[in-house]
Amino acid sequence: MKARVDFHIHSCLSPCATLEMSPRTIVARAKVAKLDCIALTDHGCAENLPAFHDACIEANMPCLYGLEATSSEEVHTLCLFDQLEPALEWGRIIYDSIQNFPNDPDRFGLQPIVTVDGDVTGFAEKLLFAATDISFFDLVPMALEAGALCIPSHIDREYLGAVSQLGFLPDLPYDAVEVVSKIPPNAKKWAIIQSSDAHQPDHIGRRFTRIETEHFTVPALRDAFKRHRKP
Amino acid sequence: MKVSELNSVGFCCVQNKFEDAEITGGYTSDLLSDVMGNLKDGQVLITIQAHKNTIAVASLSGALAVIFCHGRSVTPDVLEAAADEGIALFSTSDNQFDATVTLAHSLR
Repeated sequence: MKARVDFHIHSCLSPCATLEMSPRTIVARAKVAKLDCIALTDHGCAENLPAFHDACIEANMPCLYGLEATSSEEVHTLCLFDQLEPALEWGRIIYDSIQNFPNDPDRFGLQPIVTVDGDVTGFAEKLLFAATDISFFDLVPMALEAGALCIPSHIDREYLGAVSQLGFLPDLPYDAVEVVSKIPPNAKKWAIIQSSDAHQPDHIGRRFTRIETEHFTVPALRDAFKRHRKP
Repeated sequence: MKVSELNSVGFCCVQNKFEDAEITGGYTSDLLSDVMGNLKDGQVLITIQAHKNTIAVASLSGALAVIFCHGRSVTPDVLEAAADEGIALFSTSDNQFDATVTLAHSLR
């Protein structure tokens, strides 16, 4: 099938996202946007993935379990799993390696951990968009080793992408690269994806990728991305 | 030197809702984790990171103003966040080195 996928969506757990971004709201908006598969990718923390899992199951929405990790150079990178447990384990590794800087909710926003019903069970304590102590050059192989699809985020943006932070896109075995508008000249050897990077409900699906795949598993998507590369 | 005087040394004020306090120094960095750990109260941040997180980090560290270099465009959400926090924003076509030199000369 030719699927419409959006693999970069933040929930209320991300300090920069609106509090309306509950897992159920995300799934409902994804249905409206006629998306076939979505991923939740909060900054540096996987604790809203269980609620997202429940919301996707009840709505019969295929999904991936992800997060957006921040390397020590402040390069944002999507890490996407097809199973909840390894994603949670990866989330703990990333959260533990974030610099120890407490969130100030008045300045940065709340970071609530929620249930599928939207009940708040706690708050992530560290500021989630702060950098980890893991270099981008280590983060990519670590994510792949953990079983994730690894996709550097918004590589063409003026900030927090591989090109802006490192000066160039290193030649590493990414599954794809995410572009907002303009494909950097040296990025053409990888599959290009677009995603919404939604931080509020009406952003979901504003950008998405059409990809030919029968399954939304890591191996199937990895193959699909290989075929998706521009010659 | 007061924040408002940054205008007279060539920086263009793009957000003017701020308290016109005395500048104690400057900090030049494009890595927010570095800014978080090292920017001091009363300083001016010189950077090319023209996005909203920069304002939050500057505010947390007690910065009075941020100077965006290389003519980086400042989006409405950044202007709004800075106005809310009372942080002055300035823009310059200079690079970070030249902006730093200008500020350092003005302060000494």
